Amino acid sequence: MSEEQKEKKEAFEPKIVGFLCNWCSYAGADLAGTSRIQYPPNVRIIRVMCSGSVDSMYILRALLEGADGVFVGGCHPGDCHYIDGNYKARRRMVLLENVLETLGLEKERVWLRWISASEGQKFADTMKEMTERIRKLGPNPIAKQWNL
Amino acid sequence: MTQNVINVKDNDVAGSINEFLKHLLSSGKIQALLVQQSTPSKKVAFPVLISDPKRLHARVIAPVLPTATASIVSKMTKIQASPKPIGIVMRACQIRAVLELVKLNQANLTNIVLIGVDCPGTFPLNTYANFPEKTRPTPFLLETLTKKTDEAEKYLRTACKVCKDPIPENADIIIGLYGMDLEKNVLIQAGTQTGKSLLDDLKLEENQDAVKHREHAVKETREAKNKRREAFIKDKGAIKGIEKLTEFFDKCVNCHNCRQACPICYCKECLFDSSVFDQEAYKFLRKAETKGLFKLPNDSVLFHLGRMNHMILSCVQCGLCEQACPNEIPLMDVFIPVAESAQKTFAYHPGKDLKEKIPMIVYREDEFTEVGEK
Repeated sequence: MSEEQKEKKEAFEPKIVGFLCNWCSYAGADLAGTSRIQYPPNVRIIRVMCSGSVDSMYILRALLEGADGVFVGGCHPGDCHYIDGNYKARRRMVLLENVLETLGLEKERVWLRWISASEGQKFADTMKEMTERIRKLGPNPIAKQWNL
Repeated sequence: MTQNVINVKDNDVAGSINEFLKHLLSSGKIQALLVQQSTPSKKVAFPVLISDPKRLHARVIAPVLPTATASIVSKMTKIQASPKPIGIVMRACQIRAVLELVKLNQANLTNIVLIGVDCPGTFPLNTYANFPEKTRPTPFLLETLTKKTDEAEKYLRTACKVCKDPIPENADIIIGLYGMDLEKNVLIQAGTQTGKSLLDDLKLEENQDAVKHREHAVKETREAKNKRREAFIKDKGAIKGIEKLTEFFDKCVNCHNCRQACPICYCKECLFDSSVFDQEAYKFLRKAETKGLFKLPNDSVLFHLGRMNHMILSCVQCGLCEQACPNEIPLMDVFIPVAESAQKTFAYHPGKDLKEKIPMIVYREDEFTEVGEK
């Protein structure tokens, strides 16, 4: 790897789109903020009412528009404000991952995690972990495609 | 269930099935029949809803499937169930599709008698319409079926070549071709109690000798098709990665005909018909600036992947999407491998059993626990 390439790789800051459920993960992110816990600014948070409302189309669109990662945060299983939205989100994620895998697209760029309103630290840790993981994966190759 | 036969006269299988359907319709037990019949030009055969037995010239096994019969059943029954019994002659893939539509509350099978017919496969609409042996593609196909040659193979649609199961299940009455000596007999089998009581009234011939090869032939056909599917899926596994995918969908012009033809895509308002993707000019400009350039109309890969995520678990692999594509994108090359893998993950068999719930509306607390807890 040449010096120039190395520098380019080090300069890469992943862009992550995060869909956080209103009742748990968004409140968790809020807690991380109010508790002044530091986490990488790579995630762009979009608040949704429930992880179960995140259609696979949202995730696909973010990926195809060139996002390096997509994060979906929901309440822990059993804690959903709408009883079972997160269980449905989980099934939808299983399907999406399966489709991506069959088509040879990187499912590692799509994360689903359970973060409660009291888990500000877990949110910050998860963001750190995801940013590092995506940084290692490198930029989303889809971003370079112009004929989608 | 009861296995009856009808005799084939003058080597005319289609004509004999027509006679049987005439008999069924004139018995008064069903009010009307929805069955494929040639148009006056004889170029193509379309489903017709027919109540006058005298005008019935059914081309049940004409090797063409212009549109999804399941969608027609949905149109006819979703607002209100049929007040009187209707017999509907369908191929196996369409029976699977109609069962999925019932689960999605888009069709109602009350007073519907499903008459399934063994499917020797269908040609693309244009191939059928321009077939060299103009009037006789059906006998040609049946001949290759009986002699077990693959002559018709090259004309078949991809979906039919690797058909999931050409022998109908879940039908009230089954018209059987596989394993029968088609110069002599066609099988008429009752699949349910409704079918049985209808057939009992018709007093058809019972002939144990004529059906003795049926079971074996059905098993053999299913095995052969399965083998072919597996090879097909393995072969198409090469379409992997974003570059191959964009290449695959290169000819897509966003006409969305595939969605229109799909029996499962029933949404009244598709996201892709909405104004979600109409944006202010500055957003287009900003994207051009970030990327350098991008193709328009855009979002064709998003459309296919999005549609796929919405309908793939119910995909019955009828291949009508591929037939509808004006630019001949071989959609089955992608949809069959994805459908097989996704349906396997949820151990779901679309169109097999009405009691089997669509995976996206049910869940178990203790499943897929590895997702979300890494």
